Amino acid sequence: MQTGFSRYWRDEDMVKLNVLNLEKSEYKGGKSSLCPGCGHDQISNIIIQAAWENGIKPEGIAKMSGIGCSSKTPAYFLAKSHGFNTVHGRMPSVTTGANMVNKDLSFIAVSGDGDTASIGIGQFIHAIRRNLDMVYIIENNGVYGLTKGQYSATVEKGSKKKKGAPNEQAPIDLCAMAVNLGCTFVARSFSGSKKQLTALLRAAMSHRGMAVIDVISPCVTFANNDESYRSYNYVKTNDEVLHIVDYIAHFSPLSEVEVPEGEFSDISLFDGSTLRLETVSDDHDPRDAVAALRAIHEATQDGRHVTGLLYYDPDQPTATDNLGLTQAPLVGLPEDKLRPSPESLEEVNANFRAR
Amino acid sequence: MDKIYNDFTINVATANGTGSQSANLIILHSLFEMGVPVSGKNLFPSNISGLPTWFIIRASDRGYQAPGDETNIQIVMNKDTWEKDLASLDPGTIIIYNEDAKLPVDRDDCVSLGMPMTTMARGISPKMARLMANMYYVGGIAHLLGIEEDSIASAVEQQFRGKENAISMNLQAISEARKYASENWGDVSRYSAQSREKSDDTFLIEGNEATALGCIYGGINMLSWYPITPSSSLAESIIKWIPKLREGEDGGSTCAVVQAEDELAAAGMVLGAGWAGGRGMTCTSGPGISLMSEFIGLFYFAEVPGVIWDINRTGPSTGLPTRTQQGDLAMCYEASHGDTQHIVLIPGTVDECFEFGWRAFDYAERFQTLVFGFGDLDLGMNRWNTSGFVYPDQDMDRGKVIRNQEEMDAIPNFGRYRDVDGDGIAYRTLPGSGLAPILYRGTGHDEDGIYSEDPQVYYEAMQRLKRKIDGSRDILPAPVIREEDEGDVGIIFYGSMENSIVEIDDLLEGRGLSVSTCRVRALPYHSEVEQFVERHDRVVVMEINRDGQLYGILRKELPSHLIKKLYSVAYSDGLPPRAREYANRVFEVLEG
Ligand SMILES: Cc1ncc(C[n+]2csc(CCOP(=O)(O)OP(=O)(O)O)c2C)c(N)n1
Ligand code: SF4
Ligand SMILES: [Mg+2]
Repeated sequence: MQTGFSRYWRDEDMVKLNVLNLEKSEYKGGKSSLCPGCGHDQISNIIIQAAWENGIKPEGIAKMSGIGCSSKTPAYFLAKSHGFNTVHGRMPSVTTGANMVNKDLSFIAVSGDGDTASIGIGQFIHAIRRNLDMVYIIENNGVYGLTKGQYSATVEKGSKKKKGAPNEQAPIDLCAMAVNLGCTFVARSFSGSKKQLTALLRAAMSHRGMAVIDVISPCVTFANNDESYRSYNYVKTNDEVLHIVDYIAHFSPLSEVEVPEGEFSDISLFDGSTLRLETVSDDHDPRDAVAALRAIHEATQDGRHVTGLLYYDPDQPTATDNLGLTQAPLVGLPEDKLRPSPESLEEVNANFRAR
Repeated sequence: MDKIYNDFTINVATANGTGSQSANLIILHSLFEMGVPVSGKNLFPSNISGLPTWFIIRASDRGYQAPGDETNIQIVMNKDTWEKDLASLDPGTIIIYNEDAKLPVDRDDCVSLGMPMTTMARGISPKMARLMANMYYVGGIAHLLGIEEDSIASAVEQQFRGKENAISMNLQAISEARKYASENWGDVSRYSAQSREKSDDTFLIEGNEATALGCIYGGINMLSWYPITPSSSLAESIIKWIPKLREGEDGGSTCAVVQAEDELAAAGMVLGAGWAGGRGMTCTSGPGISLMSEFIGLFYFAEVPGVIWDINRTGPSTGLPTRTQQGDLAMCYEASHGDTQHIVLIPGTVDECFEFGWRAFDYAERFQTLVFGFGDLDLGMNRWNTSGFVYPDQDMDRGKVIRNQEEMDAIPNFGRYRDVDGDGIAYRTLPGSGLAPILYRGTGHDEDGIYSEDPQVYYEAMQRLKRKIDGSRDILPAPVIREEDEGDVGIIFYGSMENSIVEIDDLLEGRGLSVSTCRVRALPYHSEVEQFVERHDRVVVMEINRDGQLYGILRKELPSHLIKKLYSVAYSDGLPPRAREYANRVFEVLEG
C-alpha cells in the first residue's frame, strides 16, 4: 500500500491526487498518432503514471527525444513540461548542453533502437561515459518503425519481422553495452509489464546519474508476428524476470510498507526512495556487473529476454559534478556574474602590455 | 651603403619541433619592442615534428602586414628544403645559414653568411645544442639589422618567462652569435631596424585569444568543442581565462566546458544550452561545420540561439589543414538542407575578434538563431596589433524571453512562433519556467508550435524566418568604408584580407588606379554595402578562395542593375594573401 496520495470526490467520481495535490490528468499529453496497439503508447502511459506517482513537478521536467515513432511520443505525455524532439540519434548531446546550463531540470528522454543503436550509438556511449543525469528510455522494437520496418541493430539473430527474410546479423545488446561502460543504472523491461516497468521507471527517476531502461516495445505493424523475438506473444512467453520490483517512495515510510514473505533486498535511491527486489529464483545482485552480463548472455543464448534491474552503481559523480561549476544553475545567473567588470578588462589589457 | 629602414621581409626555413618557434618570436617581439611596425606569420605543417616550417617576419613603416612578395633575408636551417629555399631567392638576397648543415650554398648572386651554429651551441649546452642553434640566427639577425640589446633581452625574458636558466643561456647564445657576426660578416646588410615611437598601449595577440576573451565578456555559459586546427587555441584560451575571470559567488565557474565526442555532439550541446536559456558556443573549422550541418538547420527552424566560430582552414576535405582560406563563407551563410540563412560575423582585426566575440551572443539571443563567427587561420593563429580591448558598450541583450506570468499576460495572443511585434521575432519561454510549455521540434509547426504539415502554415513560417534574418542586416556591424573622391572603382573584401588591403591599395595607386574600399563585416550584408556598389562604376570583390563566394552571394542578392558592375578576384593557394598577387589580378579582371 502506497501512501502519498489523497482522494476526494468530485461529482460522482473519486479523484486521486499525488503528493503535490495534482491529478493524474496534469501529467497527460496530446492524443497519440501511433498505430493502435503500438508498444510505445503503453510506455507513454507508464511515464505519465510514474511521474505522477513520484510527485515530480511537471514544469521541472524536460522531455527529450530523437527521431522515430518512439521519439514522437513526448507529444503524448507530460503536456505541462517543455520538451525537444531533436534530430535522429543526437538527443544525448542536446540533453548534455541543456543539463550543463540547467542541472535542476529532470530530463526524461525517449529514443528508439534505430535512434540509439545505429545513428546515435556514439552519443549514447558518451552520455553514459559522462554519467549524464537523465532517464534514457529506449523503446526497442527491433525495427525502424517510422521508415516502415527495416531491421535495426538490436534485433536478435534468427528473429523475423512480418515481411522479408530473418535477420542474420548479431545484435547489439544495449544493456550489456551500458553495463560494460559503467552506466550507473541499467534495467530492461517490457512495455506490456506495467507493474515492473512503472517501478523501474520510478526508480530511474529517483536516481541521480544516467539511468538506461531498455524497454521491449512491439511494433504491431511491422514485427508483431510470432517469429519476431519482439512480438507480444514471444516476449510474454520468453520473459525471464530477474526479481519482482517494488518502488517505495521517500514520502511513504518504509516501516508502513508490508514486508514480503520471501527473500528480498532493498536498494536506496538518491532521493531517499527505495527499490525493493524480491527474489524469484536465483539472487541477482545489481551491484555485480559480471552477474548482470552473465544474466544477459545466458538469456540471449536461450532466445529469452531478461528483465529487471540489471546493474546499479549510485556512487559515481555526474556530468556536471566534475566541472567545478557554481551551485546555482547557470541560466539563472544575473549579468554581473556573466560579464566580468570593466576593471578586470583593464587588468587583462595591462597584463598584455606589460609582457 | 644606403640603408633601407624598417622595410624588409625575413623568411626563416626550419623544421617544426626544433624549437625554432621561440627564436622566431624573439625576433618578432624584439622588433616590436623597438617600435618597428612588424607582423609575423607561421606557415606550419600538419605534423608534430620534423616537417618543414616557414616563419615570415615583415617589418614595414607603412604598416604592411601581408607576407612580403619577396624575401630580403632568408635563414636556412632545414636540410630537407635547403636547395628549394635557396633556389627561389631573388639576386641580392641575404642568406644566413647554419654551416654545420654541411650543405652547399651555390648562390654567388646573393650575400651568403654562414655560422657554425650547432657547434657554437654545443659550447653552451651539448644536450640542448639542436634547440639552442636557433638562437644563433637570432644573434645574426640582431647584428645585421641592428636590433637593440635591450629589446632582445626583454623579448627573451618574455619568451622564457620565469625560467632564469633558459633566459641566461639563450641570451648568451644570442650575444655570442652577434659577436661572431660582427667579426666575420661585417656590415653587409642594406636592411636595418630603426626605433620608432611606440605607444605604450599596444601589444600583439592572436585572433583566437582575442575572440576567447570576447566570448568570456559576452557571458558564455557553455563551451563544447572538439579539437581541430586552427580553432583549438580559441577553446584552449577560453579554458585558460575562465578561472581567472568568471567565478560565481561560491568560487565555482559560471561556464561549463565540455570536450565533446565529435562536432555533431558539440553542435547539439550548443543547441541544448541555447534552448534551456544559456549562452552556448562551440568553435571548429570547415570539417566540423560540415558535420554540424543538420543541427544548424534545427537551430534555424526551431529558432534556438547559439554561436559557432568557424576558424577557416584550406579545404575541401582535410585539405591543407594548417593553411589559411576564406573557403567556408557560402557554407556558413546557408548551412544545412532546405531554405536556411544564418547570421555571419566577420572580424578583420583582433579588436573585432574581441568585439564580435561578445556581440555574437547578443545577436543570437536577439534573433533567436544561430550566429557564426567567421575567422581564419591567419587572423586566428598569428599575432596582430591592438592597443587594448574595449569594454562592451551595451548591456547583454537576452532577447524576447518571457520570464514570469506578468510578462506573459502582457502579450496578446501569445504563441511560441507568433509574430506579435511584426519584426519576425516571436517570444519564447524557457524549460523549467512552467510558462507556456511546448515541445520544440524540427518538423513543421504552426504559430503555437503544434505539429503541422499545412502548406500555408509552412509557407508563412518560412517567410517569417526570412523576414526575421533580413531584419538583422542594418543591426549587424556596418561595413568599414574608405572612400576616394575620384574613385570609380570600388573593392569589396572581408575578414583577414584587412591585413593586406593597405598594401594592395598602394600598389594599385602606384599604377594609377585609385580605389575605394568596403570591408564587409557581417552577413546578411548591410544596406551600406549595396549603396557602395551603387556609387561605383566597377566593383571588385576580392577574397581568399577559388570561386568567389561573397561575389556569388552579392550576385544573388543585389538588385539586377548592380550585378553587372561586379568583378571577382578570388585566389587561394593556402598562404595568407600577398599584396602583389591580388593587385595584379585586379588589373587583369578590370582590363578584361
Ligand atoms: C539523419 C537522418 N537519417 C535518417 C532519417 C530517417 N529515419 C527516421 S526515423 C528512422 C528510424 C527510427 O527507428 P527507431 O529509432 O527504432 O524508432 P521507431 O520508429 O522504431 O520507434 C530513420 C532511419 C532521419 N530522420 N534522419
Ligand atoms: S510503425 Fe510500429 S513503431 Fe511505429 S507507430 Fe506503428 S506500431 Fe508503433
Ligand atoms: Mg525501433
